[in-house]
Amino acid sequence: MIRTIELLGTLLAGVARAWETGGAAAFALALGLAGGIVLRRRGQHGADAGRQARERELDSLRRVAAELARTQDVESLARTLLDEIAGLFRVGFVGLAFVSEDGREASGYLARARGRDVDWWREARVDLEREPSGIASAVFEAAAFTVYDVSSSSRISSRLAEAVGAKSAAYVPLLVDERVIAVISVATTDEHRAFSADDLALMQTLASEAAVALERTRTAIALADALTRERLLASITRQLRTELDLETALRAAVEEIGHALGASRCVVHVEDEAVGSRVAVEWHEPQVAAAGESTRLPLAAKAVAEQRPVAFLAGATHDADAEDLVELARLGVEAAVAVPLAAFEGTNGFLVVHRSAARSWSQGDLALLEAVAAEIGLAVRLGRLLAENRERLAQQSALLRAAQVLSGELELGAVLQRLADQLAELLDADAADCYLLDPDAGVLRCVAVHGFDPSLLGFEFPAARGLAGLAIREGRALIESDYVEIPDPVPHPAYDGFTDVIAAPMRWSEDVQGVLGVGRRGGRRFRARDADVLEAFAGLASLALRNAETYTHSSRQARIQRGFYRIASVLGQSLSRPATLEAVAQAATEALGGACAAVLASTAGRLEAAGAYELPDDLAELLGASLDEREGAIVRTAGHGRIVASPTLADDERVPAGWRAAAAEHGYRALLSVPVVAPRGADGGLVLVFFAEERSFTEDDLELARHLADATRGALERSELFEAERSARGLAQQLTRTGRLLTSELDPAAVLDEVVQQAPELVNAEAGAIRLLVGDELVVTAADGRGAEAALGSRSPASGWLSGDVLQSASPVALPDAGSDERLRALDPMLADGNVAFLGVPVAGAEGAPAGVLAVYSSLPRAWREEEVEALRALAASTSAALSNAELYQRVALERERSVAILANIADGIVAVDRDGEVVLWNEAAERITGVPAPVALGRTPAEVLKRNLESEDGTPGDRLVPIMRGREEVWLSVTEAVMRDPTGAVSGRIFAFRDISGDRLVEQVKSDFVSTVSHELRTPLTSIYGFAETLLRQDVMFGEEERKTFLGYIASESQRLTSIVDTLLNVARLDTGDLQVNLAETDVRDVVGQVVAAASEAGTNGHRFVVELPEEPLPARADPEKLRQVFSILLDNALKYSPEGGTVTIGALRKADAVEVSVSDEGIGIPQADQEQIFRKFYRGSDAEVRAGADGTGLGLFIARGLVTAMGGRIWVNSREGEGSRFAFELPVGSA
Amino acid sequence: MGQNDLTRVLVIDDEAPIRLLCRVNLEAEGMAVLEAPDGPSGLGLAREERPDIVLLDVMMPGLDGWRVAEELLLDERTNEIPIIFLTARAEFRDRARGLDIGGVDYVTKPFNPLELAPLVRELLERIDRGERDELRGEKLAELRSLMDTE
Repeated sequence: MIRTIELLGTLLAGVARAWETGGAAAFALALGLAGGIVLRRRGQHGADAGRQARERELDSLRRVAAELARTQDVESLARTLLDEIAGLFRVGFVGLAFVSEDGREASGYLARARGRDVDWWREARVDLEREPSGIASAVFEAAAFTVYDVSSSSRISSRLAEAVGAKSAAYVPLLVDERVIAVISVATTDEHRAFSADDLALMQTLASEAAVALERTRTAIALADALTRERLLASITRQLRTELDLETALRAAVEEIGHALGASRCVVHVEDEAVGSRVAVEWHEPQVAAAGESTRLPLAAKAVAEQRPVAFLAGATHDADAEDLVELARLGVEAAVAVPLAAFEGTNGFLVVHRSAARSWSQGDLALLEAVAAEIGLAVRLGRLLAENRERLAQQSALLRAAQVLSGELELGAVLQRLADQLAELLDADAADCYLLDPDAGVLRCVAVHGFDPSLLGFEFPAARGLAGLAIREGRALIESDYVEIPDPVPHPAYDGFTDVIAAPMRWSEDVQGVLGVGRRGGRRFRARDADVLEAFAGLASLALRNAETYTHSSRQARIQRGFYRIASVLGQSLSRPATLEAVAQAATEALGGACAAVLASTAGRLEAAGAYELPDDLAELLGASLDEREGAIVRTAGHGRIVASPTLADDERVPAGWRAAAAEHGYRALLSVPVVAPRGADGGLVLVFFAEERSFTEDDLELARHLADATRGALERSELFEAERSARGLAQQLTRTGRLLTSELDPAAVLDEVVQQAPELVNAEAGAIRLLVGDELVVTAADGRGAEAALGSRSPASGWLSGDVLQSASPVALPDAGSDERLRALDPMLADGNVAFLGVPVAGAEGAPAGVLAVYSSLPRAWREEEVEALRALAASTSAALSNAELYQRVALERERSVAILANIADGIVAVDRDGEVVLWNEAAERITGVPAPVALGRTPAEVLKRNLESEDGTPGDRLVPIMRGREEVWLSVTEAVMRDPTGAVSGRIFAFRDISGDRLVEQVKSDFVSTVSHELRTPLTSIYGFAETLLRQDVMFGEEERKTFLGYIASESQRLTSIVDTLLNVARLDTGDLQVNLAETDVRDVVGQVVAAASEAGTNGHRFVVELPEEPLPARADPEKLRQVFSILLDNALKYSPEGGTVTIGALRKADAVEVSVSDEGIGIPQADQEQIFRKFYRGSDAEVRAGADGTGLGLFIARGLVTAMGGRIWVNSREGEGSRFAFELPVGSA
Repeated sequence: MGQNDLTRVLVIDDEAPIRLLCRVNLEAEGMAVLEAPDGPSGLGLAREERPDIVLLDVMMPGLDGWRVAEELLLDERTNEIPIIFLTARAEFRDRARGLDIGGVDYVTKPFNPLELAPLVRELLERIDRGERDELRGEKLAELRSLMDTE
C-alpha cells in the first residue's frame, strides 16, 4: 500500500513537471491516464481567465502531487486534497467519508471548513441503505452530482446538512477498480451555487488522483479499527479469564467498552438460574445518571429473546417499541445497542451500550460487542465450571477422607460415625444418620448420627417405613424434597421439621445392609448430584461393613499367612531340628491365634518337649515330665494322626489333668492338638496350641492346623537333611580329633580308655564299653559312663547275644531299646545299670581277626542313625590301629628301657649322636664324667656341650685322648668311637665311649714335671760343683788365690743347696710314708720369723719391701722350731717368687685364743680360685705359674708346708685374689708358757 | 769375623755360678765372654754387641730361654748368631725343642766346662764353612737316634 502511494506520488510529480516545462502535448500525454477533461475545459474559457484557472488548477495538482510524493500520512494527504478543492472551488465545507467494505455504511474521515478540521465529521456515520444522503447517492450512482438547494433535496441527509450548514452541495465518488471507496462532499455554506459540469469534472479529476491513496487509507482505517477492537477485546478477554471474580472482571469490561465505543453507559446483566446468582454491573459517564440495577433496560429483553443484537439510533429505523423509546428518552439515550450474552443452560444475560449522541453502531462496534458478550458468556460458564469443579473436588476429597476412614479405622461404629460426619459436612446437610438392617428382626437400627441427639443411636424402626424403606425397595438413593408430606414417616420426633431428605441403601452385591440418610431443615434443595454423593457414601459404608465383618476373619487370615510365612521361611533355610521345632511352635501360635504352643516330639515311642513358643516354664516342664505317664487320650492321638480340639480345656477329659490345671493357672482356656507326622514315619510329634479364651474351632482352624502339620512335616524333612549333614560333618570332625588323639596315645590301656570316652561323644550317646576277646569270653576292658564300674572286668560268652552277636557277625548291632529286654539286661551290666539303647561295632585285631567289641549306650531309647553307626565303626577301626600301634610301641619302649638300664650301669660314658651330630643318648656315666646332665646334652652336639669335638678328625678309630673342661677342671677323656652307617653308606650316627683318665694322666704329668723339676733342681747345683771342680783341676790355666776361693765357695754353697733339696725330697718321702718326726717344744714364733726374714733381707730381693708385724711379748707356740722355720721359709720364698714385680711383703704373727697364727702376704700374681685347693697337693704348681713366674721350684713346697704344719697339729690355708696377691697363713697350737 | 779377632761369647743364665764357670773356662781359651743374668738383658746385649755365639740357659724366671731364642732369631740384627742351649732338662722333648726353635746345639747340665770352648770353636768353624743347616740336621738325627734307642 505504501509502495502504491509512492508510485502515485512519483507519477503526479512527473505530470506536474511536464505541465510546466513540456507544453500541452506533453501534459496531455502525461494525463492520458486521467482523461482529457482539463484540456477541454481550458479550450472553452478565455485566455486570461483560462490561464489563471489553469495555473490554479496546476498549482492544486502540483500540491496534491507534491503531498502525495512527500507524505505517507493519509490524513495529511486527505487534508491537502480537501483544502485544494476548497480553495479551487471556494466552498465552505469539504468532507471525505469512506464507504465500508460491504457498502452499507459510510464513515466520516476528515472534513475541512474554513481551513480547519471539522471534528464531528470523524464520528459521522451514514447508513447507506436506510438513511437518504448525498453520500449514499454518490455511492450508488458511482458518479458525481450536485444539489443546488440542499434543504429541499430528499437525497440529502438532513442531519448532516444541518450539521454542515450546507446551501448547495456536490458529491464526488472516489472510484478504485469500479468500486466507490469514498465520497467527497463539497458544500457551500454561505450561498447557493450551481456547480458546473466542469467543476464536477475537475473535482472528479482531483478525486481520482487521490483515489488509490485514499483507498489504502480507508483500508488502513478499517484495519486500525479492527485492531483497536481486537486489542480491546483481548484486554477484556484477558480480564475475564484472569480475574476470578466475575463481577470485578465485568466492571473493568464495561468501562473499557464504554470508553472504546464512545458510549455514555454500558451495562451487563448476568443471571444464572441454575446457581441462582445474578450479577449486574454498570458503567456510565460521570455526567450521565446510572440506569440502576433494577431498571428494565430497553432492547435487552428483545435481544435476549431473539438471541441477536438489537440496535437503536435516534432518527433512524429501529426495533425499539414504544415502551423502550420512553425509557431511552428518559435515560437520554440517542443510540443504544443490546447484545445477548451467549446463551447456555439456565443462563440469561445481556450487554447494553448507550450513547448520548445519535451515532449509529458500526459493524465493528457490533462485532466487538458480540465478541465481548461471547467472552462474558464464556467467563460466566468458566466461573460456573470452576464452582462445580470445586464442589466436585470437595466431594471427591470427602469421599477420599471417608475411604481413608474405612481403611484407617477398623472399628465399625467409628467408621460409620465418621462417614455420617463427612457426609453432613459435604452435602451441607443439617443432619445425617446411618441405620443398619437387621434382616432377622426386619428392622433398621440406628448406628451413627450427625446433627441428632446421640440418644437416637439404637433406635429401631421397621425396615419398610419412611424414605429409607422406599430407598431399600427401589435399591437406589431417593431425594424427597417434601419430606413432611411423606406417607409413612419414621416414627421418631427427631425427624420432625425436615424438608429435604435423601436416603440411600447400603448394599453389598444384592444384600441391603442398611440405609444412609441426610436431611435439611429448609434452605437449599438437594439435587440429583447430592444423591449421587450419598450413594457413593453408602457404597463406602457398605464396604466398611463388609470390612468390619471380615476384619476378624482377615486378621486371623493375616496371622495364618504370617504363620505360614514363618514356616515358609523356616523351610527356606536349613535349620537344626531344635530350631525347626521352635519355629513350628511359633508358627502354630501365630497361625492359629493361640497364646503359646509346644511341640512334643516322639522318640522311640516317647514324647518329649522339643520346641516351644511363649510357653511358660512350668508348663513346659510339666509337658516334658508327664509324658511317661502316657495318660490322656490326647497323647495317643499323636500316633493316630488326629487333630484334637479342646474348645473348653478345663472339662476335657482327654487332656491329662496335670496339663489342664497348669494351663488354667496361666489362663489358657482352649487347646488344639495337632499331630505332626515326621518324615519316614520315624519321629512323630504333637503340636499343642493353647488359647487364652474358650473358643470353638471352625473348619478353617482345622484346615489351618492340617496345613500346619503338612508344613511342619516339610520343615522337619528339611531339618533332618540339615541335621544329617551337620552330624555327618560333626562326626567326621570328631573322628578326626579322636583319631589324632589315638595316634598320639602309646599306652594300649590309655587307648581303650580314650576310646570309651570318645565313642559316646561321637554319636551323642552317654556310655561306652570295650570288650576284648580273651579265650572264648568277652571281657570288658574299658568302660565309661553309666554302669562302667559294674561292667569293668565283667565277662560274657563270646557266643552270646549283643556283643557276642557283634563279634560273631563282625557287623554292627543297633538296638534302640535293648534295655526293655530282660534277657539282654542280664547279659550286659551296662544295660542292667539303666542304659537302654545299644550300639555295638566289632573291633578287629591283628590281620583283621575279631578282637573285641566297641559298644555305646544311651539311657533313653533312641534310634541309631546310619551315619552314627558308620562313625562308630570308623572309631573302632582307628581303635584297632591305635591298639596295634600302642602295643608295638610298648614293645619297643620296653626294649629301649632295657637298653637304657644297661647303658646307665656302664661305667664308661656312652654318647650316641644322630646323623646330624645331635646327641640322642647320654648315659649316666657320661653325665658323671662330663658334669653335663643328659637333658642339657640331648639334642645338641657334643661340640656345643663340651666345647670339644669328640669325633676323630681323621676318622681313625681307636682310643684318643680328648681333654674337656668339667667346670674349671680339665678332664682327660679316653674316647673310642663307632660310626654307624645306613645302607647307602652315609653316616647315620656315631657312638662314643669314653672314660675319665684325668687321674692317670695327672699323676703321670705331675711325675714327669717332678722329674723334670727335680732334675733341674739337682742338676743346677751339680753343674756348679762339677764345673768348678773341673775348672780347678785345669792344668792349662793358673788361677789366683781369690779365684780359687770363689770357686771353692760356690762348690760349698751349691753342695749345701743340693743337700737341702735332698732333704726336701726326703721330707716328702717321709710325709708320704708317715715317717715324719716332729719334736714339739715351746717355741717363740717371733724368733723364728725374725731370723728367716733377716736372712731373706740379707740375701737381697728384687725390690721387695718387708713389713713385719710382731707382738711385743713372746709368742710361744707348741712347735718343732726347725719345721716351723722350714714352713715359714717356704711361704716367704713363695711370696717373693710369685711377686716378681716386687711390692710389699707383709709378715705377721699374732696370738689367737688357743693358737698362734703366722701369715705372709704379698702383692704378687695371686692364685686363681680354681687352683687354691690344688696348690697344697704334691707336685702341683699353679697352672700359669710356670709361664708367669719361671720354672723354678719343685712344686713340693706347699705340700711339704702343709705336711709339716699338720704334723705339728696346726692347719694352713690361703686367701688369694688373682692379680692382687696372696695371703698364706698357718696356725699352731699356742704354747703353754 | 777374622781369625785374629777374639771370639766373643754371650752367656745368658740366671745362676751366677754357672755364668762364672763359663767365663773362666772360655776366657782361658782366649775368648771374650759377655754375661747376662736374665733374658731381657741378654737380648739387649746381643743386639748391642753382636756376639759371635750365645750360650743360653733355658729355665730362667721371667723370660725363659725358649722365648729369648725366638726373639733373637726374629731380630735381623741377631738372627745370624748361633745359639747353644744350656739346659738342665734331660728330656729329649726339651732338646728337640731347642733345635726346632733354631738353636745349633745344646749342652746338658751338668757339663764339663773344659769342653765348652772346643765346642764353640768347632761350631763356629762349621758355620763359617756354611754348614749351619747340616749341623742342625746332624743334631736332629742324633737326637732322633737317641730317642729311638730309648
